[in-house]
Amino acid sequence: MAELREPRKKPSSTHHGLPKPGLTQILGLLTAIDGAGGETDVARIAVDVRMNIVTIGPVVDAAEFLGLVKVHEGDIVLTELGSKLLRSGLRQRKEIIRSVIDQMPLFRQVTDLIRAAGRPLSRQEVTETLSEHVGTHHSDATFQALVYWGRYVERVTYDGAAELLGLRGPA
Amino acid sequence: MTAADTILEVEEVSRSYREGGKEFLALERVKFQLNKEDFVCIVGPSGCGKSTLLRILVGLDRPTSGTVRFLGEPVRTGDARLGMVFQSFALFPWLTVEQNVEIGLEARHVPAEERRAKARKHLDGVGLTGFENAYPRELSGGMKQRVGIARALSLEPVLLCMDEPFSSLDALTSQTLRDEILQIWSDREVTPNAILMVTHSIEEAVYLADRVIVMTGRPGTVKAQCEIDLPRPRNPKEPEFFGWVDEIYSLII
Repeated sequence: MAELREPRKKPSSTHHGLPKPGLTQILGLLTAIDGAGGETDVARIAVDVRMNIVTIGPVVDAAEFLGLVKVHEGDIVLTELGSKLLRSGLRQRKEIIRSVIDQMPLFRQVTDLIRAAGRPLSRQEVTETLSEHVGTHHSDATFQALVYWGRYVERVTYDGAAELLGLRGPA
Repeated sequence: MTAADTILEVEEVSRSYREGGKEFLALERVKFQLNKEDFVCIVGPSGCGKSTLLRILVGLDRPTSGTVRFLGEPVRTGDARLGMVFQSFALFPWLTVEQNVEIGLEARHVPAEERRAKARKHLDGVGLTGFENAYPRELSGGMKQRVGIARALSLEPVLLCMDEPFSSLDALTSQTLRDEILQIWSDREVTPNAILMVTHSIEEAVYLADRVIVMTGRPGTVKAQCEIDLPRPRNPKEPEFFGWVDEIYSLII
């Protein structure tokens, strides 16, 4: 479980603090690796699923960032956590991912900010904060990733009409 | 197999159209049966009429001749016991995820509180708890299709029909959704009694189905029915899996 608390240090041009691709694609990648025996070449998967480096690259990067795979010189291997995620039901998957997302500094910072404000924050307020960390150019995409993962792990709510990001209370 | 186990009986269904003063036959004397616990995929070459057939089976179109009996009676449009998942997701963009699921229940006059409870239960079943108030524009294709699946399942159908549900999704997304459908299928609490799916992917049919109905080119008719006896989970890399794919390809080409 050390992987959970120590996401890889390698900088990436695609995640900027939060993975952009959603879990559905990431799970598809894990399934493809698992079908190949738990270890294969990224190129082999790309050929099998008819994707190119532009489309599969961010998915590989996101899976690695979440600690679900390890990548080295084009080889990709399922980690113990990736294997566990793949073999879990929908509910358990959410718990696993929640424990990873909860540790992400950018996610914690935004949720702490909302908590401190005692009210939902506007999209603009959040993207201004995000732009300090990821730059203005990436702040919108990072906001969308934050909303996606925050909703998925049931930590945040987002009202798309009012553009307000809040914390999700107990169901 | 008793009569009580029979869900769908397709008897000599033909469908022809008039186009430019000429009549052309899309489907010719299609005949098969679907029973409880069946997960059946229909495959065939492009233009063989498999989507037309599915529309007839759920009552959205009528055969020129032949009959379709659902649970012993002629199939009728809007039967809540028949759930449908569309390739195009068919979501209302101005409604939230939860409202999109509820709308089918609302049309059947299910009380508001029950609608909400059912919508939430089935959204949870496809992993969409947390996205209840999201709009379709905020969702990926895979998530939109999960809403479509939740909407169909919320009606608690006896038969779930799916028309190429994953064909507009990328390969990684569609693989995940195939596995989720199998998870839903194995969950006896929420599952329909049978699933009928049209697909143009033979690999997908072999991955999912207990039985694959292979259709001929136009006019579409049933060429063969293959009982896929591979244990689940199925691995497309296994030679036995490829053996079935090869067998079905050779029936079509």
